[in-house]
Amino acid sequence: MKRLSIVQQLNSKTVIISSVLQIGDSREIISRSKVLAVQRQYELFLGSEGEGTFPIFTKPIQKLDINAEAIRINRLNESPIISVRSIYVIAASTSAVIHIGSTSTINGETRIKHIRQLAENYSPPSPALSAPQPTIRITKDE
Amino acid sequence: MNYTVINRDVQVGDIYLTAVTSSSILLIGDADIINLASAFDTPPESLFVGPFVPLTPK
Repeated sequence: MKRLSIVQQLNSKTVIISSVLQIGDSREIISRSKVLAVQRQYELFLGSEGEGTFPIFTKPIQKLDINAEAIRINRLNESPIISVRSIYVIAASTSAVIHIGSTSTINGETRIKHIRQLAENYSPPSPALSAPQPTIRITKDE
Repeated sequence: MNYTVINRDVQVGDIYLTAVTSSSILLIGDADIINLASAFDTPPESLFVGPFVPLTPK
């Protein structure tokens, strides 16, 4: 038997990109997300991008292979209740799960590919003309 | 293998979280099997300096 979950107050602002906010028991949750995050120095979209597959989106992820039947789990619920006064979560994103209640199986997978493109001869604005700004320098070995 | 768990009284006050992301979970309850994975690919080659070219998988 599984325990009863009691949460008096839940405050959540955002649940996005294949995330789950589950109130109540569930049996199986499978959430998947693939993210291609492209950052360019200038606002530019060249069209039909990201249609090709990067290996990260197809490579199998090794998972721990456990024979659930080989392990005998004895649960002794001396108290049948899990009690929480309040939960405050600003956001759940990219296959995240917020679950109040019991479940059997949760299976989540996220794949993220980051690409950044910077201009070759970009000259930052003259410091005399603009307000002081923190500077970030990215150097690349040839 | 035998595995015994004794669940005694659990009473939590306030949980304050900024975010749950990338196949993470916040679970108030019981579960049998949890399998979570997340893969990030941000190698040095993912930083291009030069003309803005369309993305090519490699």
